[in-house]
Amino acid sequence: MRKVQMSVYTLEDMLLMENMHEGDYDVAIVGAGLSALSLLHSGGAALGRTVVLDYQEQVGGLLRYLLPADGFGTEWELLRDFQLPPGVSLLLQTTAVGLLPAHDAEPTHTLVVRRRQGTMQLRARQVVIACGGVERPREHDAIPGTRPAGVMTPVLALQLLAQGYLPGRRALVYGDSRYALATARRLAEAGLEVITAAPTSGNGRSVRLCGTLEEICGFPRLTAVRLLCDQQSVEVEVDTLIYATGLLAGTHWLKGSGVALTAAGTIAVDAHYRTNIAGIYAIGTVVRPGLDHEDSVRMGKEVAALLPGGVS
Amino acid sequence: MEMTSIDLDVDILVIGGGVVGCAILRELARYDASIALLEQYPDVCEGTSKANSAIVHTGFDARPGTLEARLLAEARQLWPEVIARLHIPYLQTGALMVALNEQEQATIAREIVPKAAANGITLQPLSRAEILEAAPYVNERIVGGVLVEGEGVIDPFWTTRAYCEHALLNGAQLFLGERVNAIEVGRRRLRVRTENGKTFSAALVVNAAGLWADEVARLAGDHSFKLTPRKGEFLITEEDHGVAQIILPVPSEVSKGILVTPIVFGGVLLGPTAEDVSDKRDLATTTAGQQRIREGVGRLVPAMTTASTVRQFAGLRAVSSTGDYIIRPSTVSERLLHVAGIRSTGLSASPAIGHYVGTLVAETLGLRLRTSYREALPEPLSEATHEDGEVVCLCRSITRGEILAALRSTLPPQTLDGLKRRTGAMLGECQGNLCLPRLIALFQQELGRDPLSLEKHAPGSRLLVERLRHLGSVPAHSGERPKRGQ
Ligand SMILES: Cc1cc2nc3c(=O)[nH]c(=O)nc-3n(C[C@H](O)[C@@H](O)[C@H](O)COP(=O)(O)OP(=O)(O)OC[C@H]3O[C@@H](n4cnc5c(N)ncnc54)[C@H](O)[C@@H]3O)c2cc1C
Ligand SMILES: Cc1cc2nc3c(=O)[nH]c(=O)nc-3n(C[C@H](O)[C@H](O)[C@H](O)COP(=O)(O)OP(=O)(O)OC[C@H]3O[C@@H](n4cnc5c(N)ncnc54)[C@H](O)[C@@H]3O)c2cc1C
Repeated sequence: MRKVQMSVYTLEDMLLMENMHEGDYDVAIVGAGLSALSLLHSGGAALGRTVVLDYQEQVGGLLRYLLPADGFGTEWELLRDFQLPPGVSLLLQTTAVGLLPAHDAEPTHTLVVRRRQGTMQLRARQVVIACGGVERPREHDAIPGTRPAGVMTPVLALQLLAQGYLPGRRALVYGDSRYALATARRLAEAGLEVITAAPTSGNGRSVRLCGTLEEICGFPRLTAVRLLCDQQSVEVEVDTLIYATGLLAGTHWLKGSGVALTAAGTIAVDAHYRTNIAGIYAIGTVVRPGLDHEDSVRMGKEVAALLPGGVS
Repeated sequence: MEMTSIDLDVDILVIGGGVVGCAILRELARYDASIALLEQYPDVCEGTSKANSAIVHTGFDARPGTLEARLLAEARQLWPEVIARLHIPYLQTGALMVALNEQEQATIAREIVPKAAANGITLQPLSRAEILEAAPYVNERIVGGVLVEGEGVIDPFWTTRAYCEHALLNGAQLFLGERVNAIEVGRRRLRVRTENGKTFSAALVVNAAGLWADEVARLAGDHSFKLTPRKGEFLITEEDHGVAQIILPVPSEVSKGILVTPIVFGGVLLGPTAEDVSDKRDLATTTAGQQRIREGVGRLVPAMTTASTVRQFAGLRAVSSTGDYIIRPSTVSERLLHVAGIRSTGLSASPAIGHYVGTLVAETLGLRLRTSYREALPEPLSEATHEDGEVVCLCRSITRGEILAALRSTLPPQTLDGLKRRTGAMLGECQGNLCLPRLIALFQQELGRDPLSLEKHAPGSRLLVERLRHLGSVPAHSGERPKRGQ
């Protein structure tokens, strides 16, 4: 009874399904973040036999750690009310590590995935890449200085809070995206003293300090950061730096797959979210890694209508 | 000598758990003697040994006649066996030294080739066309160069750890987090005290404290040498642009110059710079340093000028006034042996330094080889075992099985960086910001470590400051899995 209800399959189930026939799935979705949830929400059962897989233990992508939060109403509703449509299998803690596109001898696409039981292959006629990305760490922008404990991104800080720990006492949150400021509020609620800061060229949202991050100081724990404010170097004493400057498209697992990337490292898609390979689509952060864009939900909806067999 | 209780009595004590100290410990473990190593950090390989180019140099450019040149030559013979017995990841890439103009080309012919010959190494001259054919990513403006066939790259963390694990397997003892702050020299024995209040007694002490070896010498009243730090900054890129060889510029007097070096476990290392600094703890990276690296590598491999970076770091060379390795007894006692000033080739020479020091110590103390000695480390886990479990580090596809294997090893990590160096987790694009909470949980589950006590690297580098008092203030996310709709 319970087993029929469960949408998470065991290895045995998977193998059984694989043995049923070639090209078991109509659609395989990599990532169960906002864009994928939106796609599932709009597409529903009409998508056909669908599998969605995600690295994490839960659905909702990176934003899951922040929600609910002010200014994220649409996203929270989507996540809160999400129901897995019938016919869709959800595989959590399942990571795509490779993609072998269809070719003459093999008309379906093959995803190489790794999960608790080992490595296996999933075949699908259409693949939607909705794997988002990771946050840009301080190292990506080569911010000079020491490498102490206490420097982290919002997702790390929010996860530590969710596990029941304070990551520091006095934090500077660097970045003025909606996300950065919501993270700052969450940290303040948890009891940290929080200073917000962002480069002057930011989006005009109000932060306490305007300046560019120049240097990270202190060892073994962060003791201060230096900002260049109005051509003056200002030292701010903090034990925590929340580096919230953006996202990097998560495309490393597509190396060698033939899926074309843009110069910026995102997946190249046309107006209909089609990649250069027929039957492979990409939506969400992995095509547009801006921190403030609100497109993921829309992209999911649109692609649901575009998938052959999808609803229009 | 004042009366203090002795916590541990051994024949030989090694101070310093870098690649040099650990290589020595491994050689000493061959002898019928009790041995121990003291390291101030919570892990081995936290000093210069973790921040270098990771090249196994042939020594082709060493000053002939120096101890350094001699030990590098001996190490060439020893490496194949060491790599095989300790299962160390190693890639014999070869190195291409490229000349950007006729003057550099002349320097190669006039200085580099004869020096290599004096060190027993024949360099293979290559034309511009030959180089560009073998390495199409190299700057088209080069005029020629030479191939140093025997150069390769290695995993320096693995090497240091494996030396140590091999010694432990043969009975050595390891004390981590023990910083030596006093040495009393007696006639027959030395007493070594640590900041934690422990006292060790030994018949012979090996000072392999790297950059701090002069300060350790001074603890015993020996002021015979001084070490100064020379910083080398690096940056790592995951864009390899096809780089498969080590690309060297024609060197200057001060350093081997800024190189392009493939990393044995993926990516490319760019650097190092060479800058004399005053503070032995100054490991900060700088805008100017990063800029210099970009300029330097741009001349060798133009695509690297703008390659995106995942990480920057710096290491400190221990520069001695003698310009050669300092391997000799101290001026205060035959029983204190310095192994210092191992400036920029310590990783490469480590098997030979170990052997040389081991032999010296055995002669001094009249030691015999042990009858039972295990020549090799057990095979590391097979690939199949590694695949066990889901991916924990998303950027590098490192699985739970790999993390658990490290946490359950003979020399388990005590810090997050220790885990990073053992598994490769957290080395990728996100630098651990996504998976770190999962790693903390595995540390707790496997080693019973309270997350609050976990440190990043050095003592004092805790990640978490306290438990949240009001969990209620942070909205908890339901851990429930979504159910199938109606
Ligand atoms: C913090 C933050 C704030 C943002 N604010 C908004 C917003 O308010 N509204 C909005 O529309 N957009 C916003 N964005 C932009 C972003 O595009 C989000 O919309 C959304 O998080 C992106 O959804 P996604 O599905 O593309 O990626 P994600 O939400 O990041 O989901 C991707 C999922 O794929 C999984 N995954 C990654 N690689 C693999 C793999 N190889 N195998 C299996 N699973 C994998 C990940 O674990 C993750 O769960 C924000 C992004 C972030 C991170
Ligand atoms: C930029 C750069 C590039 C390099 N490239 C290469 C290369 O490509 N190939 C190569 O072969 N070599 C290279 N080297 C050189 C190589 O890294 C060093 O020669 C080697 O790591 C020295 O090892 P060590 O064990 O002497 O020192 P360390 O690794 O510094 O070890 C000394 C240890 O002693 C401990 N210690 C110090 N004081 C005390 C105390 N009081 N009590 C207890 N413990 C103490 C320290 O914590 C440390 O762990 C490079 C070096 C640099 C800086």
